[in-house]
Amino acid sequence: MNQIIVAFVTGLTTGGLSCLAVQGGLLASSLAHQLEQDVLNQPSARSKKYGHKVSQSRPQTALPIALFLGAKVVAYTLLGILLGFLGSVLTLNATLRAILFIAIGIFMVGNALRMLNVHPIFRYFVIEPPKFITRYIRRTAKSKGGSQTRPDWITPLFLGALTVLIPCGVTQAMMAVALATGDPLQGAAIMAAFALGASPVFFIVAYLTTQLGSRLEGLFMRFVALVVLILGLVSINNGLNLTGSPLSARNLSQTFFAPQQSSQASSTIPSSTLTLTVANNGYWPRRLYATAGEAVLMNAVTQETYSCARDLVIPALGIETLLPATGTVPIDIPPQPVGTVMRFSCSMGMYTGEIVFGQ
Amino acid sequence: MVKKIFRVDDMHCPNCTMRVESIEDDLPGIKQVSASYQKGQMLVEYDETQVSEAQIVAAVKARGYQAVMAVSS
Repeated sequence: MNQIIVAFVTGLTTGGLSCLAVQGGLLASSLAHQLEQDVLNQPSARSKKYGHKVSQSRPQTALPIALFLGAKVVAYTLLGILLGFLGSVLTLNATLRAILFIAIGIFMVGNALRMLNVHPIFRYFVIEPPKFITRYIRRTAKSKGGSQTRPDWITPLFLGALTVLIPCGVTQAMMAVALATGDPLQGAAIMAAFALGASPVFFIVAYLTTQLGSRLEGLFMRFVALVVLILGLVSINNGLNLTGSPLSARNLSQTFFAPQQSSQASSTIPSSTLTLTVANNGYWPRRLYATAGEAVLMNAVTQETYSCARDLVIPALGIETLLPATGTVPIDIPPQPVGTVMRFSCSMGMYTGEIVFGQ
Repeated sequence: MVKKIFRVDDMHCPNCTMRVESIEDDLPGIKQVSASYQKGQMLVEYDETQVSEAQIVAAVKARGYQAVMAVSS
């Protein structure tokens, strides 16, 4: 249940904008026929920026956008069933997840830079639907346009369902979560919750951009691009955390801006028995000191902990373990040389910590 | 039938390729148009006896884009 709520909140907060950045083209295509009908039926002018005809009155886009999103929710739910089933037969280990998060992050950063028109090379970060599908859609919409006042339901429904083929970065991260459930129903619930959560923001931003003039639309899309850029960098950072890389933002800042705060560490005297408190909002202390050259026992303690912090990953030891919601799990760490820094994180690379080995 | 590549530099989003490709529905003699947002160009396969380059350029211009014949393939 917790995961479903997290999926919904993720969709609500970040999914809407991220999805719009990637799938906006499909949405625009699904609205194109509606917009062209508006141009034909109402007074029109030439877009100063792009030259093509635009309607002078507000286009009727609310319903096509709603249909588009409705189809998207259904398609994502079906995808969730498939992912949950696949997850029951495949396993995505921490390393693969790290690679996935970094790849997703690069995709999102590239897309954002494309939207900001930084360089034509970033156009290659766009995923376009196959030509035969867009050709079919175009001709279907055209053939149904015999009555110019009849709205086209098929195009937004079809293209909304097609969004499942071009998932945005945040969607891809949710897909990984759905896969990890190993259960079709759970997978479906997570993807449905995410798609539903993403819908309000997606709808509002998409609707407003069709109602605003081209100048405000440009500003809006730049804002969307900046949000996607930040999300992309966060995803890359999470992937780096998951590998225990010293290059993640937090690890870099600790390397260069050194001293740990008293809230971040308990004793700095190395010990061969450590206690790590695993809370819903992360690990405490974030830095532990262990004795080098001898075996160390770390007790991971949970107390009604339900967040992803429970899924503890220690890349250097190849450990990935799901801790109980309440309890103590002993983790044996073989002897490490002086100066070793062993990093650990949650399975999403969000919460992090490290063990420093000294004498 | 010939195939010719036209540069279309002002496609600003993937949706633009759909708009450009729609000229194949309107101009007789065009067999297929394949536009690429990434490359900023379109490949047009058409019957020269039925439609001219100038007509193709005009049809693209009517949709708000500037097409310039690049090279023939």
